[in-house]
Parts: sequence; C-alpha cells; structure tokens
Amino acid sequence: MGLFSKKGTAGATPTRLFYASDIHGSEPTYRKFLNAAKFYEVDALVFGGDLMGKMLVPIVRDADDSWRARLQGKDHHITSPEDMTLFKRSLQTLGFYWQEMDPEEYATYVGDQDRIDQLFDVLAKQRLAEWVELAEERLDGTHVKVYLCGGNDDTDVVLSALDEAPQERVVNAENRVVPLDDEVHTLITVGYSTPTPWDTPRERSDEEIGTVIDDLLSDVADPSRAVFNFHCPPLDSTLDSCLKLDASVWPPTPLIERGQPVYYGAGSQSVTDALTTYQPTVGLHGHIHEARGSATFDRTPAYNPGSEYGEGVLRGVIVAIRDGGVVGQQFTSG
Amino acid sequence: MAEAAAPQVFTRRASGLVRVMSPYSAFIYNVLTMGVIFPWTYLWAPTAFQGSNLVAGILFAFLFELPIALAYAWLATALPRSGGDYVFQSRVFGGGFGFTVVFAFFVVWILQWVALSGWLMASLGIAPTFIGLGVTTGVSAFTDIGTWAASANGIIIISVVNAGVALVLLVSGFRNYVRFQFVMWYAILISFGLVLLLFLTTNPTAAQVKLDGFASSVDGISGFFATARGAAEAAGVNFNPPFWLFGTLMVAPIAWTSLQWATYSVEQGGEVKNAHVFRNQVFILVGSLTAVAGLLVLLALAMQKGIGTEGILTASAGYWYAVPEATIGGNFMFPNLMAMGLTGSWVIVLLIGLGFILNSFQIVCNCYIGTTRIMVAQGLDGLLPDWFSRVSPKFKTPVNAHIAYFLAALPVIYGFNKVSSWTRWTLGVTFANGAVMVISALAAALLPYRAKAVYEASPGARYKIGNLPTVTLVGVLGFLLGGFMVLSFLFVPELGLAYSIDGLPYFIVLGTAAFGLIVYFVMRSVQAKKGLKVEYAFQEIPPE
Repeated sequence: MGLFSKKGTAGATPTRLFYASDIHGSEPTYRKFLNAAKFYEVDALVFGGDLMGKMLVPIVRDADDSWRARLQGKDHHITSPEDMTLFKRSLQTLGFYWQEMDPEEYATYVGDQDRIDQLFDVLAKQRLAEWVELAEERLDGTHVKVYLCGGNDDTDVVLSALDEAPQERVVNAENRVVPLDDEVHTLITVGYSTPTPWDTPRERSDEEIGTVIDDLLSDVADPSRAVFNFHCPPLDSTLDSCLKLDASVWPPTPLIERGQPVYYGAGSQSVTDALTTYQPTVGLHGHIHEARGSATFDRTPAYNPGSEYGEGVLRGVIVAIRDGGVVGQQFTSG
Repeated sequence: MAEAAAPQVFTRRASGLVRVMSPYSAFIYNVLTMGVIFPWTYLWAPTAFQGSNLVAGILFAFLFELPIALAYAWLATALPRSGGDYVFQSRVFGGGFGFTVVFAFFVVWILQWVALSGWLMASLGIAPTFIGLGVTTGVSAFTDIGTWAASANGIIIISVVNAGVALVLLVSGFRNYVRFQFVMWYAILISFGLVLLLFLTTNPTAAQVKLDGFASSVDGISGFFATARGAAEAAGVNFNPPFWLFGTLMVAPIAWTSLQWATYSVEQGGEVKNAHVFRNQVFILVGSLTAVAGLLVLLALAMQKGIGTEGILTASAGYWYAVPEATIGGNFMFPNLMAMGLTGSWVIVLLIGLGFILNSFQIVCNCYIGTTRIMVAQGLDGLLPDWFSRVSPKFKTPVNAHIAYFLAALPVIYGFNKVSSWTRWTLGVTFANGAVMVISALAAALLPYRAKAVYEASPGARYKIGNLPTVTLVGVLGFLLGGFMVLSFLFVPELGLAYSIDGLPYFIVLGTAAFGLIVYFVMRSVQAKKGLKVEYAFQEIPPE
C-alpha cells in the first residue's frame, strides 16, 4: 500500500494535502509552495490566505541615473543593473513590491494614502496574476490542484485576479465549497478574520463569519468529510495566541499591563463553534504567524503552521486524510 | 531633475507580527545565563594551572568566543526562530545530525545543569548567606541553616525546590519570567558590585585578618589563613610560580564555561522582538559577551587587589586539591563567601547572598527555557512525540515539555549529590554544550552554501570580505577556536573528561549521542508508519 499514491478515494489510500498560509507577496515562498506538490508528494496544495505583500519600495531615480531606495532602515544607492537585480530579488524574497519612479512622481505619493493603496492594488494584482500563470505552468500535466484564497490582508480588487484567467490547475476557493478529491472530501474556505488593531481590508464581525460558515455548510451533505480552510483560527485555541495591541496609536503597539505585554487569543469564536459543531475532517488555519501549533476539537484536529515568509521560508503542514479522518500530519519548514 | 534623498517605504494597513522579549531583555538573559557568579575561573584555574594569568585567560576566552558569538548573530538573524541551535543545525546539516547533536548534547546534558544550579543555589547562595548572617548577627541558627544547605540532603531539597519554583514560574507564562528577570538583574548587579567593592577596599594583609575572624566565628578555629595556606602548600601549591603561557591558554576553556552561554538567547529567537535585525543580535550576543568578560576581568583584578595571589591560590587549593583546611564551614572559599568574610554588616551579607541565590535561580530557569523551546521545535518537526510540542491554551506555554523536563531532572539531581562519581560528569556538560556551539559556528560558516536562499534573504548577506561571506570567515574562526577549547576538555587532564582514568565520562558522552541517534531513528520509523518522512521537516524546497 502506498501512502504516496495518486488519489485519495474512499479506499485505503489517503489523500495528502499540503497547507500553507500568509506568504504576503513573497516570491520565493510562493514558488516553494508550488514546488511543495512534487517535493512532498502531495495530491493538493491548499493556501490559507494573505497573498498580498505589505510594503512597497519606491526606487527613485537620482540625478546621475543611479537609483535610491530605502529598505529595512537602510538607504541603498543603486548604481548598476546588477545591483538593481540583486536589490529587486531581496524585495521579492521579503514580499515587497517596488516601483521605479522619478522624484516628482514620488512626491505625488508622499502623504496620499489613497494613491499609495491604489498602487499597491495594481502591483499586487499583477503579481497574483503572474502567480496564477506560474501555477498553471508548473502543475501542468500533474493531477495536483492548488486551492487559493485571500485572507484579511488581501483586497477584493487584487483577489479578482483569481477569476480573470482560464484555469486548469488553480481553483479559486474563496468563500466556496469545492471538491478536494474525487468527491470524498470537500474543501470549505473562508478568508475573513475578526477585527484586528490593524484595520485590514477584509475583517468581519465574528457573527458575520459565523453566518458565512453556516451558509457554506448548508450545501455540504457530510461535514465530517469536509476540510475547513478558515484563515482565522479558533478563538483561545493556542493557534491564535499573540500580543494584545493598543489600536489607539498607529502603528499599533503592544499593550502593557503592570509593566508586561499582554497575550490573548485573537481568533474567532464562530470558527471554534464550527469545528466543535460540525466536527470536520480537519481545520486549517493561518492569520497568526507566531502561533504555530496544533489543537483538537473532540475528534477534529486543527493546525496553524505559522509563517516566516520574510526569511523566504515556507512554513506548512502535510496532512494525510482518509474517510473523513486524519491519518498523519507533519509540520514542515522548507 | 531633483535629487531623491532617502525615499521612504510605502506601507498599507496590514497586520504585523509582534514578539514579547525586547533585545534588552535578551541581553540581560544572556548576561545572567553566563553567570558572573560562576566561581570556576577563580577556584579551578589558579591551582590547576599554576603560573597562569587569570585576566589574560579570561581575555583569551573572550577572543575565542567572539567569532562564535558573531557567527550566531548571522544565524539568529537569518533564522530568528525558537529552537535556535536545533533549527540552525538541522537546516544546514540535515535533521538527523541536527537532532542528534542538539538533543543529546543540549536537552540531555543540560539536565546536569538543573542539578548544578541547585548546587550553586545551595553552595554559593544559601549556605554562604546564612553562614555570613550567623557570623554578622551572632545567631547560631543561621549558621546551622548554612551548614545544612551545604550538606548533600540540603542540596537535594534546595535543588528540587529550585527546579519546582522555576517550573511554576515558567508554566505561568514567559512574560512572568521576563518580568521577574528585571528583579534578578538588579539584585545581581548590586550583589556583584558589592563583592567588587569589598575586594577593592581591602588589602591582602587586612583580608587575611578578617578571614581569620570569619572562620573563627564559623568553625571555632584560630589562625585559619596561615593553616589553610600551609595545607595548600603541602598539597602541592607553589605560591610563587613563574608565568606559564600554556597554562594561561588553558584558563580560557574554564572561563568559557561562563562565556560560551553568550549565545543562549537564540533558543527563544521566535520570541525576541526584532530578532531579525542584525544590530539587535550583535547587541544581544556580542554585547552580553563583552559585558560579562569585562565583569569577570574586574573580579579577577579586584580579588588580586583584595586577597592577592596568596589568597587566590589558597582558596583555589580548597577546591582543586580538596584541602579541607582551606574551606570555611565546609564551603569552598568562593569569591562571594570571602567577600562576606570581609564585611561585618549583615545587610551587605544579605544583599550579596540574594544576588547569588537569584542568579542560581535564573540558571535553572534558563535550563527550562532553552530546552523546552528546542523540544517544542523538535516535537513540531515530528522528531519528538507531539505531546511535547503542545501549548497549553490556558497558560500559553509548553506545559508538557516543562513538566517532562522537571521530572527528568529529578534523578539527575539525586545522582549529582548522592553518587560519588557523578560530579565528574559535570565536566562533560561544558564539553557537550560547547560542542553544540562549535558545530553551530560551523553551520554559520556553511550557511551561504547549504541554505543559500535563507542566507541571501538575511540581513547579514550584505557583509562580505572580497567574495567571501563574512559569516563564513567568522564561522570558521569560531569553529577552530571553539574546537580548540572543546578538544582541550577532551584531552587535557586538568580540564575535564580526561581527568577520569576509567574513561567513564567519554562513554557517557558517547552514550548520550547514541541515545539521541536512537530517538531519531525511532521517531523516524514511527512517522514513516503514518506515511510521513521526518526529513520533510527541515529540507528546503527549491523555489525553482
């Protein structure tokens, strides 16, 4: 019997899926994610949201046709095409976007957050479209599909790229119920998070998230054979532990009580309820990068592999499922 | 065209990652872990290597450790994760090697440190403090407590309580530890400052008189110092030895028992704020190393001023030659005990004692903190049972790993104090722990070649000497210099494993390595039965 065989039907062969989340625009991390199919010998690649990067580096032309930019607190003076290539590669790894511009153009962005956000959307959508194309190319000729969705940090404008090109291997899983493996297991995806101190684009109240989940589940005949791909982790499950932040300042800073930072669970009660009530095959979650780990909800295990996209590292978890149960799991860091 | 001056990065509203331990707290953590209270340099080196120069030996240790600490700065910024050395080595050398080395030589051997920290608390903290209080207040009950604390049963009980209190503190949340660490920090600074001051404000003649009075109050003997000196001389101490360069070099591995811990904060790299920033890691690792080396040098100079070569050699003979006449109340003449003998104030005695007690307590805490982070990382990688990596929803800490480590330490505490040959294995700790650090230095040297993507994405990648990555240079230097000290522990009789003629410590070291390897293969087999390959946990996926 081979656990690494092709398809996970109702027989003895499990379906192996690889889950990762929160790569935030990092090019090498995304490329690793695609290559994980072959590397880990899995049947499906499931992404848990937060595709977009968080920073945009203006590369501003200098008087002598060299360029200036600032990265990680350091000023860079780029004087050759080779330096420019290296610099852009660093930005790709970190998940940052860049735009070459003249000083005059740069000045038009400074202080105009709306214009900056629009530029973010343009560049991020362009990168996502390239990623979809890359996935189609890399997975061509295999049985593996990649299930993509957004997270709370992604904008709807950018996510529209997932539907704008004909796709064979890429599945837009956002807020949908899609088959995962020959109709035995289904994948149910919700990319929203509960409100955060960062006031990100796709936050919903816990009640709204609960409604979205229940609506999706109403179309599922057997929730016990469903894989929940919910960006937001279950509340107070350790998969959601992070520092509590003071949202009254920007950027939010750690809340200090009696001289110490305060930890709390930033997850969703609706997600906890859904895992407890529906007892799906497995819960896959992201959102809180530092809360790597596992938790159980009666029979259902839930995982958050965490994220270290900024170092070009792909954190993930391989999950082998069979007949509505998890037969093996392994965290990875590659 | 206008000139562009330092354009700023544009940001949008997106969530961010925040960590709990500030670089300053991590710096303090390393300083306390290095333990300026460790007395070995002053008690072990002077008679083991007669003619050595303590200050020069400490400076050698600093210079030997410097490239190692620098190499760790590259590693810690490239891979700022909890599980530090295990993560570095498994990433560069592969999981089987990384797991075996770090599990065997850190997780297993640091159990000995749990026992040793209990011994430190009893022998360096509680016993001298109460003996000092007994002398300064005239209350004999204090002296009795101090004498009990130095007995085998006293040390065992103190060690178990020490480990148990640390367990409760750490399980209650890492933030509680970080908070308490500031209390320990200031108490230790005051304590160490007082010790320095007491040595600096006396001279050998006056000190000998005071020590005579102190020993008379404790043991009821007269002419203590002259008797101790005579016994030391009879045991083989040369009180006027010529300078010995090799002996001075051999002081370095002894001072390294403290300074090698300059890099220990990397084990909780995932919890240190802005751990990926190069200057932060340099401050944490190299800064703490420099600070502690400076303090050790200061103490050596202060002791030289206060009790002179004669006093240092006499105290050392009590430890190295086990000269009973050179002990007070059954205790070795630790620097803090001698400092207490130099004062008549119970307040000063208490302040000195409190610092040493708290530093001993910090050492057991750091044993838990480092090893549980490693165990969690190994559990998540499937190389230890999943049970170890579970984080309590209530306390947000790896409670299981903490409890397991506490339970595993209990037989070691018993053995350390009841089995006569056990303390010899203490020497193996420095060898084993040092070996991990030296291998990590080699991992740093190879990082640009064995984990290219990780290295190129790290802030240290911009530092090069010609075409050679600077990390490779400091990593190789650290490997060679640290390797020199590790090999010294292996082969120089006065330093460690070779001290035993039956070779038992060698077999213990080999045995722990074999145990690590067995655990690795067992877990590999268990995971394979679930259809999983443990190798997946640390293999880097090629992006192309």
